[in-house]
Parts: sequence; structure tokens; C-alpha cells
Amino acid sequence: MSSWFRLNLALLTARLVAAACHLFHYPGTSLPGVVALKVCPDAVNLMTPAYERVLAVTGTNGKTTTANLLAHFLCAAGRPVAHNALGANMLPGIATALFRDRQFCGRSRSRIALLEVDEGSVGKVFAAVRPELVIVTNYFRDQLDRYWELERTTALLREALAGLPRTTLVLNADDPLVVAVGQGQAQVRYFGVLKESRPVSEQGIGTAEGGQSAVAFDGGAEREDCKPAAATGTASTCETREGRFCQRCGTELTYNYFHFGQLGDYFCSNCGFRRPDLDYAAWGISEGELLCMSISINGAPASAPDCDAGAAAPPGGTVSLRQSRQQTAPGAGALWARRELKLTAPLRGFFNVYNILAATAAAQELGVSDKVIQFAARRYKPATGRMEDFEFAGRRCTLALIKNPVGANEVLKTVIQTGGAKALVIAINDLAADGRDVSWLWDADFACLADPSVNRVICAGLRAADLAVCLKYAGVPLERIEVAPERPVSLKRLAAQQADKLYVLATYTNLFDYARLLGRLGSVVEQHAH
Amino acid sequence: MHIRVCHLYPDLLNLYGDRGNVLIFCRRAEWRGIEVQLDLISLPDQVRFSDYDFIFTGGGADLDQGLVSKDLDKKGPLLIEAVEQGVALLCICGGYQLLGRYYRSQDGATLPGVGLFDLYTEAGRRRLKGNILLDLDPELKGGIGACRLDTLVGFENHSGRTFLGETVRPLARVIRGNGNNGDDGAEGVNYKNAFGTYLHGPFLSKNPHFADLLIARALFRRYGSVDLAPLDDTLEINAHRVMEKRLR
Repeated sequence: MSSWFRLNLALLTARLVAAACHLFHYPGTSLPGVVALKVCPDAVNLMTPAYERVLAVTGTNGKTTTANLLAHFLCAAGRPVAHNALGANMLPGIATALFRDRQFCGRSRSRIALLEVDEGSVGKVFAAVRPELVIVTNYFRDQLDRYWELERTTALLREALAGLPRTTLVLNADDPLVVAVGQGQAQVRYFGVLKESRPVSEQGIGTAEGGQSAVAFDGGAEREDCKPAAATGTASTCETREGRFCQRCGTELTYNYFHFGQLGDYFCSNCGFRRPDLDYAAWGISEGELLCMSISINGAPASAPDCDAGAAAPPGGTVSLRQSRQQTAPGAGALWARRELKLTAPLRGFFNVYNILAATAAAQELGVSDKVIQFAARRYKPATGRMEDFEFAGRRCTLALIKNPVGANEVLKTVIQTGGAKALVIAINDLAADGRDVSWLWDADFACLADPSVNRVICAGLRAADLAVCLKYAGVPLERIEVAPERPVSLKRLAAQQADKLYVLATYTNLFDYARLLGRLGSVVEQHAH
Repeated sequence: MHIRVCHLYPDLLNLYGDRGNVLIFCRRAEWRGIEVQLDLISLPDQVRFSDYDFIFTGGGADLDQGLVSKDLDKKGPLLIEAVEQGVALLCICGGYQLLGRYYRSQDGATLPGVGLFDLYTEAGRRRLKGNILLDLDPELKGGIGACRLDTLVGFENHSGRTFLGETVRPLARVIRGNGNNGDDGAEGVNYKNAFGTYLHGPFLSKNPHFADLLIARALFRRYGSVDLAPLDDTLEINAHRVMEKRLR
């Protein structure tokens, strides 16, 4: 049977399965691909030549938001993309997206394929699609029952990239694990966040006294090492940091500052491994309903500000932005124009700075203009459950995905820093896509929910009981913890709370059901920055 | 009353939320008015382990376990001395393997362990993972405080197959899951007041009765038999029962 025939048969199959999914109101983000790949196992290889460009996003956190932002930027530039937008990011999900974009004549509707790729699937997927540009967001511990250990996850990407010598990498320079992956690759562009980028007002939150004692809330602060908390008998509360040891020589890395997790400005005192010079540097960040930031692009030293009137120069004069390749004359730094791009996007949470930065860097590499990026960023709509707002029980209710300690901590920080009384549903499942092992909850920092502004935490999902125990030991008063495993019951209980702001934090397999329920019982709030 | 806790290698052996065990141990002691002193001990520190009442160590990534293994050449004898004197100890997964006699990897290379427990571990091909239900060793049953449970629940995730020697008892028998090696029905180890297990979760989170057993054993050397006041364990017992029901 010719491959052409099998591919078209697979396409037909995918269409039929997709139609059936639609009929039964099943999302169908990966089932059509699962079935169609049975008909034609190498369908993804066969479909990618139809695209002028194949782009990929991988890493632990921020894949979906980064890919969606980049798709949004490219669409705004008049270049529509084929894209697995809903986060089904293993081979069947990617196949589903490509089948959806393919026509029976053998052509694709879009010229660009933008693929979010699960960090455990990079081997299979990259070999099949051979991306010309890969964004790597970060590496945190996540679903260790699937990937065992981070070392193995990063090794997978390194192996996958070894077969792609001409691929451009867009890497998070603040993450030593990501940077180590790019060593030896020819084309690498780095993005990162400058010091003191986190608003000062936010530091020290999360402790009842408003003190600065919570080590987990050290955004942009100097490093505080884990200290024995002998006085209170509290167990080690320091935030989990991956990649503490130099990937080249094994010496413990020294940090000038951290943003969160292991993200920050680091160097190895032994072998000289350090955060690379930044091609795209974010600074001057303000958080709130909207995220505002400046991005310095591939330019002169920070001592030569070239920004809009009123904008401050990037902090930390010692931070070196990468010298331009065109720059030849020494001392010409001040003359060579560094560009400042000011962006505003309807996103919340410091972690989204990295997502915007990564998408902007990739869009610039693909030739999207500053103006288009600025325009599109203002009109971005968050993906399902990425701090998505609903109107529910007469109040604002925000739905957010949590799936690993670092991601959960960043969401919790954003929750706690909003004013007023709050009530939350936290829904933890342990299906395959969530990770079967829920012990990661104990590596997250739920202690911040002991804050008096949190009226109630309703534990839901298949592992509601485990979460309740975790909250108890994190110091949340017993009378504020409630166990209600069923989704509708948990939302009914949430609606009954006296609180100004409502939140639903859910693992992956709960996310879409909560989104649907909230949409049905309330309404989606669309936020645009005009 | 006063209890001295040593969290060994918290910076290196810190996978799967195992540090939650230390939090649970400390909180449950504090809630009973016992004063807790917690020390985080790692590579550069030199301590006498017999100065502690309870020692905990977890599991880590391969690279970090290599560093720990080297350091245990020095610290190992002191650990053995402490356990012989009756100090309570809990080790999980990687820590459990490191305290045995040796670990033999896929290629046949043998990594010597501390030898605190009479057991050895061999690398296996298939990873043994999933929720697990155990029947606690009869000698450990009986209940401490108000919390009467005869089973243990948790999540196992290991490729090593551990085999016990003559001089030690298993911690529990497997009802559902794999246990030490997926073969002989044994899970974990018990020697004096030292315990090893593959269970994550963290282990003590859904097994409050075992946390109390450890506290009682830790206090015994200096205070003799102590009656631990009962605590409100509604949430912990509920979590235990939900998992037990799912697996039975």
C-alpha cells in the first residue's frame, strides 16, 4: 500500500473520529491522532514536508502559554499556524493538530506548524518533524513517576537535538539545566529576566506578620540557604531548586540572585560555566490585572539607555547584554542601537514574564515586527485554565492549572498577592496525565494558604484526602479545610463562601471539566488591555 | 520532654516529597508538647548520630546518591553505632538501598553500602511503581495513641530489587503492589528501631500510626515507655482509608 494512500486513509479516519468526538462533546484533542496513527504510523513524518517552517516548544512549565502566545503573534502578522493549542503534546496530540490542518489534496492550510512537545516525547516527535526552531522554557521536577529524574529528561532532549545540528534554539538563560542542553549547538538565542524585576511590594508576602522570613517567597532576593528551623521545629521549608550543581564539572553553582526555583543569575566558581549573555532581557516588570514589561533586545551595554521617555534604565549595570554580531568596532557599544520593546498583556503571575519573553524572542527570530508583537500581546486571551477568569456566584473566579511544585508555588504567590478575602477549590487527580504519584504536593509551598485572608480551601479530585493532610501539616487551620471530592459539590461549596475572590486550582485531567462547569454555571470574562 | 531530630542529606536526597516525613514527625511531636530540635545535616557536617533521637533520610537522583554514597564511607560507622544504641531511624527508597550491604547495578558493578541493614539490592529492568497496600508486621501492630491501623499505604517507585538477610524482619507484607522485589511479598525492613521502606506519599502522611510508633521509639532511649496523647487524625485516617478501599 503506498504511503500516499495510507496517509489519506489515516486522514479520513482522523476526520471521522474527530466528528464522533464532536458529536459526543468529547474534546478530541488526541483521540483522532491515536486512531489515525494506527492506520499510518509515520503520518507525522509524512505531513511535515507540507510546512515551510516547523517550530517546537518544550520544557516543564509554560509550554502551552508560550506556544499560544507565539501562535497569536504569528497570526497577527498574517501567518496562521497549525498548532496543538489545547496542550495535547504527545505524538497523538501533535498528529491530531496536523491532521486537522491537512487537506485531502495533500496540502496544509497553514504554512507554519507550531508544536508544543511533551518533554518526554521529544525523541519521537523531533525525529519525525525536524523542527527548525526549538524553544526550551525550563526544567522542574514534574511527574517523576513518568520521567523518574530530571537528568533523564534533559538527556532525552540532548539526544533529540544531536540529530538536528541546524536547528535554532531559543533558550531560557536563567535555567542552568536548559543552558546545559544547548551547549555545543550552533545557533542559540538566550532570554532571561534581569535582577529586581519582581515588584518590591510583593516581597515578604505569605507570612502572617508580613516579615521576610518565608524563604519560598524570595522573588528576586538574595539567596537564603536552608537553615535548620530548630526554634519552631518546622521541617525544611526551602524551595526546591533543581540543577544545583554545575552540569559541566559538578561544583555547586553560585547565584547572584534567584527569581524562582533555580531560575536566576548563576555561575560556577570552578569551570566558568555561567548564565550566558542575554539576547532578550526582560526588566521593569509590573504585575497586576495586566502584566507590563520592557524587553531589551540584543544590544549595547545597559549604560547606554535608549528607552522611551520616563522609562528607567534596566537595573543592574553589570548585567551584560550580548554584544551584537554586527558590532565590530570596540567601544562602539553606545552607538549600536539596542531596541527596547515595551509590552502589556492581559496575563497574571510573574512566571508569565518568561512565557511572553520566550514567545517574543522566537517571534523576533522569525521576523515578526515590534509593532505587531505589541499589538497582539494586548489582545492575547489566556488558554483554558491558565489563570482564566470566569464570573461565578457573583464574583470573579480564576481557574489555574497546577501540576508540579514550582508551577504551583508561582500560582499560589499570585493568589496570595491579590487583595481581599479568598476561597479556593484545589482539585488533585492522579490519572496518567496528572502523574500517578501525588507526593509532589509536599514539595509545593502550601504554607502560604495559612494566611488569614484565605477563608476556606476546598479539597477536591481523586486525591482530595491526600491534599487535605498536606494542607493540615502546612499549617492551614483545620476549620478552614474541607474535603469535597466531586466537582459539582466542590463548586457549590465554593459559591457558598464569604470571599471577594474565588479560585479553582486543578491538575490537568480536572481542568477542562472545571472550565466547562464554570462556563455553564457562570460566564467567561474576557480581558483585553486597550 | 525534648526530641532531637536529624534530617540527613536534605539537600541531596529530596525527591518525591520525602521531606514531608520530617515535617509530619516534628508536628506530631510538637502537638503533644514535646520540644523539637531539628538539624539539617549534609556532606560537610560532622556529627555524632548517637546524639540524636531520630534520623531521617530520603531518596535522590543518581548523581546525588553517588555523592552521598561517598560521604557515607565516613558517616556510616557512626550511623551504625547510633542504631545499635537504640536511636530511631527511617530511610526511604534510595536512602534505604544505601544503608544495605551493597547495590549491584545492571552491568554487574557492585556499590558497597553502609551495612546497617542485612540486605542487598540488585538493579531490575522493569520499574516497580504504583500505589501499594501492606499488612504491618505483627510485632509492630497494636496501635500507639488513638490511631489503630494495621495496614500501611503509599506509592512505590523503584527499579532496585531488595532482598533481606536472616537477621532482619520485613516492615510489612504486601497485600497489593510489589514491595521489596515484587517476588517474596516482603516490603521494607526493620532492625532494632531502624526502619527502611520504598514507600513515598510521603510515607508518614497516610500512616499516622507509624509516625507515632517512630516518635515513641525515638523517645524510649531517654524517657522509657511514653504514653503519647491521642491527636485528631480524622484527615489522615480518611486518606489512609480512601487508598485502602481503592486497592482492596
